[in-house]
Amino acid sequence: MRSLFGAVGLAFAWASSAIAQAPPPAPSAHTSYSGASATFDGAGKRGEWTSQARDYANTRYSPLNQINAGNVATLKIAWTFSDGTQYGHEGAPLVVGDTMYLVTPYPNIAYALDLTKPSPSIKWSFQPNPSPTAIGKACCDAVLRGWAYADGKLIYNLLDAHTVAVDAQTGKELWRAKMDDVDKGVTMTMSAFAADGKVFVGNSGGEMGVNGWLAALDIGTGKELWRAHAVGPDKDVLIGQGFNPFYPWMKGKDLGVTTWPADMWHTGAGSSWGFISYDPEQKLVFYGTSNPGPRVPAQRPGDNLWTSAMFARDPATGQAKWAYQFTPHDQWDYDGINEAVLLDMPIDGKMQKTLVHFDRNTYAYTIDRTNGEVLVAKNFAYQNWSTGFDMKTGRPIVDPALEPKPGVKLDRVCPPDIGQKDWEPPAFSPNTGLLYVGVFNICMGLTDHEVSYIPGTPYDGMEMQRFSVDGKDGNWGGFIAWDPAHGKKVWEIPEKFMVMSGAIATAGDLVFYGTTDGWFRAADAWTGKILWSQKLGSGVIGQPITYTGPDGRQYVAVATGVGGAAMVQKSRAGFPPRGNTLYVFSLNGDAIQAPESPSSGSTAPATATPQ
Amino acid sequence: MKRAVAGLFSLLMLSNCARAPLGYLDGAGPAARSIASLGWGLLGISVAVCLITGALLVFSIFRRRSQTDGLGGGDDRSALRWIGVGLSITTVLLLASAVWTLWTVRGLSDTSRAAAVTIDVTGQQWWWEVRYRSDTPSREFSTANDLVIPAGVPVQLNLRSRDVVHSFWVPKLAGKMDMIPGQTNRIRIEADRPGIYRGQCSEFCGMQHAQMAFFVIALAPADFQTWWNHQLEPARSDPDAAAQQTFMEHCAACHAIRGLSAGGILGPNLSHFGSRRTIAAGILPNDSRNIALWLRDSQGVKPGSKMPELHLAANEVDTLTAYLEGLK
Amino acid sequence: MKLARLILGGILIAAIAAGVTGWILASQNAYSHLMGAGYDSTSTMLPLGDVAGQSASTPPADVANPASSDPNAVAEGHKLFISMNCAGCHGYDAKGGMGPDLTDTYWRYGGTPTQIYQSIASGRPKGMPSWGKKLPARSIWQLTAYIQSLGGSFPANAYQAAVQGDLADKGQNKGASDQQ
Repeated sequence: MRSLFGAVGLAFAWASSAIAQAPPPAPSAHTSYSGASATFDGAGKRGEWTSQARDYANTRYSPLNQINAGNVATLKIAWTFSDGTQYGHEGAPLVVGDTMYLVTPYPNIAYALDLTKPSPSIKWSFQPNPSPTAIGKACCDAVLRGWAYADGKLIYNLLDAHTVAVDAQTGKELWRAKMDDVDKGVTMTMSAFAADGKVFVGNSGGEMGVNGWLAALDIGTGKELWRAHAVGPDKDVLIGQGFNPFYPWMKGKDLGVTTWPADMWHTGAGSSWGFISYDPEQKLVFYGTSNPGPRVPAQRPGDNLWTSAMFARDPATGQAKWAYQFTPHDQWDYDGINEAVLLDMPIDGKMQKTLVHFDRNTYAYTIDRTNGEVLVAKNFAYQNWSTGFDMKTGRPIVDPALEPKPGVKLDRVCPPDIGQKDWEPPAFSPNTGLLYVGVFNICMGLTDHEVSYIPGTPYDGMEMQRFSVDGKDGNWGGFIAWDPAHGKKVWEIPEKFMVMSGAIATAGDLVFYGTTDGWFRAADAWTGKILWSQKLGSGVIGQPITYTGPDGRQYVAVATGVGGAAMVQKSRAGFPPRGNTLYVFSLNGDAIQAPESPSSGSTAPATATPQ
Repeated sequence: MKRAVAGLFSLLMLSNCARAPLGYLDGAGPAARSIASLGWGLLGISVAVCLITGALLVFSIFRRRSQTDGLGGGDDRSALRWIGVGLSITTVLLLASAVWTLWTVRGLSDTSRAAAVTIDVTGQQWWWEVRYRSDTPSREFSTANDLVIPAGVPVQLNLRSRDVVHSFWVPKLAGKMDMIPGQTNRIRIEADRPGIYRGQCSEFCGMQHAQMAFFVIALAPADFQTWWNHQLEPARSDPDAAAQQTFMEHCAACHAIRGLSAGGILGPNLSHFGSRRTIAAGILPNDSRNIALWLRDSQGVKPGSKMPELHLAANEVDTLTAYLEGLK
Repeated sequence: MKLARLILGGILIAAIAAGVTGWILASQNAYSHLMGAGYDSTSTMLPLGDVAGQSASTPPADVANPASSDPNAVAEGHKLFISMNCAGCHGYDAKGGMGPDLTDTYWRYGGTPTQIYQSIASGRPKGMPSWGKKLPARSIWQLTAYIQSLGGSFPANAYQAAVQGDLADKGQNKGASDQQ
């Protein structure tokens, strides 16, 4: 009798453990892979795209489905707009009401386009005339990664380290704040971010030995409310009583000083040049910091806090709530600035408030956004600098053979300094529960040279050659779908050139992305099958958007104009020339036509009917 | 009579040599003393061998041939015995020398006592970069040409070179160790007492090899900690802005001073320069006249050195001299 | 053996004499080579201002690089190129990055030796720092020599042509495959 009970009990235990360990059932077309969800707070109306990431959580997800997997094959160019500038185009145009706002790379001219008229129709333009000195101080092209709309104002950063606010109706300058000194090598390229009644801006210059910071400005006046540095004593970094990092090695006094050789934190960088997310419920802003300076690790032993890290701060005071350093004592320029996508998802059966962050060091992190604990850390692409991740200490395990020493060449370090994902942001689909992001597939040969700090010159020292992972000019990029709850890649589209564009996901089960050699593609969000492609005039490193025009049609827009870090490919056959054209697509290329246009039949805007 | 004078003379010479700054016969540290005693010992053995051999040679030259010798040689067995004796004495003495030498050398690299401090010394044409290591990164800093160590405890030196082969030699404290580019050599030095000991580059390294000296300053351990803490302090707190500006304009591309945004690593770190004993790697005493001389005419003082002719105006020289002197 | 003694004595005296003579000669001339070829004077008159719209200038602007007679100038210039962080902006291969390509024949501000010198010494509007006070003239000429050795620069006597913009006429401004 007892043995029968025992046998049944054993069988039961075996069965339940088998069930617990069984792989999750293959998702049908309607089951989310990860079970992740997001709030879309901060998004404008359904048909608008009012901020770079569309919402505070940075989902880049649009509820529009007029264009969907069924009809996207009929997508055609509706209209184009050339902005006359030369550098890489990285920002997403904004659509607020019936107006589209966009800002060019240097010289940062702002345009407002009236979407009610046959486009493009320029409502106003604004020329801020930033200082040309900034061109020679920007490490990675004279770009601008986005702009913000808030309170009837268009607010954006100028390359020469100023922030400017322009009246969205008239195009007149309302205020301009000098944020830092371009002669010292400081530029600003990141997108201003508006939330909680303030606008948040940060500097660039991780290669120039700057002192990195994030600041909050008053939207009405541009007055600086607080500034949090990434290096230096706690009073500069705004670390106080409320600071509670999850891991013990980030607890201590003045770690932004003691983890550097004497006085080297002054030129320690940690600039904030990526995108910012905001959790209105917890009242926290999340953002990352750049690599440490100089880029030669032998000159700065120590963990080099708070570089290559992420901060969660109180937007009202700037005080840090928690922080997490992705790559302690970074040795390969793995900035921590990549965005945090704020999602709620079940981890090990428990619903958690998390953020998902694809780091330059090739780990995709799912982190508890209430306290900074790492829940998942898995590689989303190929890397060889780390042999694993220690979940107990929250630190990656470095392979000592890949640590650079000055004067000694490392033949193959993967990923290179720009990572397997740079600043290009991912998109989230609540339907599939997946994140979609453009990636690279490259490695570098690296020789470090010891460097002097000479203000206004690079504090750099990395001599590099970049090549594809297989070393034979193979695929340099790809576009992947990632399950953040399980840390798994679900599908991947390999690409010959780097994919450095932003991604968007729509309710039509589509994801859009562009390649650096000029392809703009739509893929099925579930399967990764490419449903539509178009070759554009220049490479795409910008962020696409989708919006509803005044005519009720859904449009997809993306700027072309290769530049930025994609220029590492410039000697490859097929690499496109520079450009500056915004492309707007619609089904059949339909758009508002001019009355005198001979090719149109009717003068009234047609109501769009899905096919 | 002549011999006595010669002996006295050489004794006097040796004792002078011993007192001279580079006199290695008078060691001030355990390593130097063991090397010196090994040197004396080997000298003694060598002299004894020379004397014995010389005496035997003289004896064999002037020995009268015995009448019975014919065309052939003498008594073979007796000759063989002499050879045997010679061989055995030689073997014993050589073995003894070898063992003693190996024992001394092994003692030099003895790491059983923990080093009180680790210092990276990097030789480059023609000065010495000195970088103090620490478990706390913020206590690490660089200085140049003056190597300050705590007395009475072993100090670990990691020796490197940025260009050609140099050699690190502080005769009163330790033996020579080469500094080879691309390689790190390690040596331990220890000074018994606080004091100042001169060092010299001892591997020909170019034009100014002869003027590549440095000083090891041994301080009592408590004084050493005080000195270390002082080095971590930034440049003096009441800076003359114009002087700083002049320094930044003309000097900061190659020289660094903690506390300023001067971060050049091509030349010596000038933090707390005013408290150093010498300029230009030990060749000029550090006073205002010599600072001005160095700024005006570095190529005249040390031709071929990497410090260029700056063509500064007279008032700039004065400003910089006063500023550098004040960096105590 | 008087002859042998004579010969030995003669050789000894000759050796001593040679040594003394050599010592005297060496100590006199030892460092004269190091004092520089005299090109560290700042008296070279260089035109100020940008290239565009320059009227014909006087001959000193056609000055060749005085460091061209120094066989070490290119090597020293290369070392400075790295240690002064030029490589950080212009690339370790000088093919450009944050700053322009220095190996091609396209020059924003002119590619003759004096124009290159002026760019380095006074800085340029799009972020090129000014090195005139930080480096002595000799070092800047060495840097210029290094840049000239990369193959894209123009000879000194092309200064007027460069200023008047007619280098294409002389077939000297070869198109580059990437001018960004």
